[in-house]
Amino acid sequence: MAQMWITMGPQHPMTHGLWTLRVKVDGETVVDTEAELGYIHRGVEKICEARDFTQVTPYCDRLCYVSAMTWANSYIYAAEDLLEAEVPARAEYIRLISAELQRLASHLMWLGAFGPDIGNLTLMTWCMRDREMFLDLLQELGGSRMHYNYPRIGGVKRDMPIGFADRVIAKTKLFEKRLDEYEMMLDESTIWLVRLQGVGYANAESMVDAGVSGPNVRAAGVNYDVRWAHPYSVYDEIDWEPAVEKPTSVKGADCYDRYRVRMEEMRQSCRMVLDALNKIPGGKNTNYANGDEMIYTKAPTRAPEGATGFSNYECTRGASQFYIQGGGEGRGKNPYRVSIRSPMFITIPYVAKTMIGYKIADIPAIMGSFDPCIGETDR
Amino acid sequence: MVGSISVEQNTSAAESCLAAINDRFGGSGIVASIENHSNAKKYAFVRAICPPQHWLALAKWMKYDLGVNYCSMVTGTHFPDGPDERGWEVAYHFLRQPIQDQVPNTCTVHDVNALSGMDIPMEFEVFIPLPQGESPSVPSIQSIWVGADWNEKETWDLVGIKFEGHENMHRVLNPNDSPEGFHPLQKQHKLRYHDHNEMYDDPQGFMRKPADEGRVK
Repeated sequence: MAQMWITMGPQHPMTHGLWTLRVKVDGETVVDTEAELGYIHRGVEKICEARDFTQVTPYCDRLCYVSAMTWANSYIYAAEDLLEAEVPARAEYIRLISAELQRLASHLMWLGAFGPDIGNLTLMTWCMRDREMFLDLLQELGGSRMHYNYPRIGGVKRDMPIGFADRVIAKTKLFEKRLDEYEMMLDESTIWLVRLQGVGYANAESMVDAGVSGPNVRAAGVNYDVRWAHPYSVYDEIDWEPAVEKPTSVKGADCYDRYRVRMEEMRQSCRMVLDALNKIPGGKNTNYANGDEMIYTKAPTRAPEGATGFSNYECTRGASQFYIQGGGEGRGKNPYRVSIRSPMFITIPYVAKTMIGYKIADIPAIMGSFDPCIGETDR
Repeated sequence: MVGSISVEQNTSAAESCLAAINDRFGGSGIVASIENHSNAKKYAFVRAICPPQHWLALAKWMKYDLGVNYCSMVTGTHFPDGPDERGWEVAYHFLRQPIQDQVPNTCTVHDVNALSGMDIPMEFEVFIPLPQGESPSVPSIQSIWVGADWNEKETWDLVGIKFEGHENMHRVLNPNDSPEGFHPLQKQHKLRYHDHNEMYDDPQGFMRKPADEGRVK
């Protein structure tokens, strides 16, 4: 049979955003692929050059609306490296809690979008229901549902409200029970297993060589995690373990392993949040005023020419990195150059190549299992 | 509890990497140093400033002898007001990650505080200064790290740095039909209004300038 190119996207249920996957097929089998990105390129890096360091944070929120808090945190650590800011311990704990709540919300969004790809429509409604709990919690911190603009260079915008800790504990514990329900529904569903097991193999070394990171690599059996390898917050004081799977094939992790590793990560995030609330300096039911030295230290606002800042941060989809150069306009008030490294920008071309050899019907399962997000990819 | 890489591990890894680089490339114009982040845990990393003609040799050696298996980021910067020998700069960020393929049904769970030698995660930063001019170019490392492929495409697309030997170079974020030579992160391209003084005629901001007056888009 003659081979032909099929275009999937930019409007296609598989894509989870605006991008195009061009697939060359021989009958039902994929023989070549090509990813086309850039549909929602907004030029964030250029915009940042005309903003001062504080004004950049909201743009970083908008890199990915599913995990705004982790992206903003990622930028903040780079800016703190550049501006040499000190951060109080309580603020680091609050950042950790907010980032892990965001990770829960983001993984739930992933699972809710992944379920319908596989044919499980119930999952969408269940995940949206539970994600709303965590969005409510984040709203208490940042004031809005999606884009929080919460971390500040040198601390956080405001302290946890009174009663926040109790609500976090109640909701997290409820969610831990619901995770068991999810697993009952998914791991015993024949359709779920048939669609995921033995599909989309990717092994650890090829992924690292290609620049893939985060849960996708941990699914292939190594517990490498930025949170212990290049520690940045107070993860060394918190009780947790990186989620890691045991792949069943020499070919590496399949879609099922990647699903399992994210479920396990959600458990670990719950564990971290609960433990952090117990250990937070100043107590979990205290509310310090805005700008109090417990939650905020004033940082310099200008960076000299030649100064650089870099952060390596475990975002929900892998390692997100920022590299900032100081000495921009306004005598160093603006960054001279902000460079953003999105984990998905590297992963999507890699995933496109792993599809070769599988059937067209496997494409949504493979693509969905890597958790693509186009907002951060195109920047 | 997993623990995390300790300061001693981090320092010893950085020092041994620096010693290895100086041992291999000392006197060739590659300047290496240990720097410390000033955020988070203030950990050390290795920075190298490398002239473009030595870049491929350094990159291959880093990959195959130093165990640097992860190319995370490529950043190009334009310095039109900089000195003649540094009109452009390419900054590479690499990580060394202790990751191997697994035998089926097993996994590696590192005992973090027992990691030693080449297994300690390490961060590398390589700066390549390029002279002023219209067409900066640097050798491509696409064939050494697959992960550099799309990073280099993006850097050429946005900044206009040419990567010699890069196969299948094409636009990734800008539209495919963007004019040749248009690379928006070069500094001659200005955002239309990026400052109060450019946007308004008077300091109070009562009188707004006509939209396109004298501005290069």
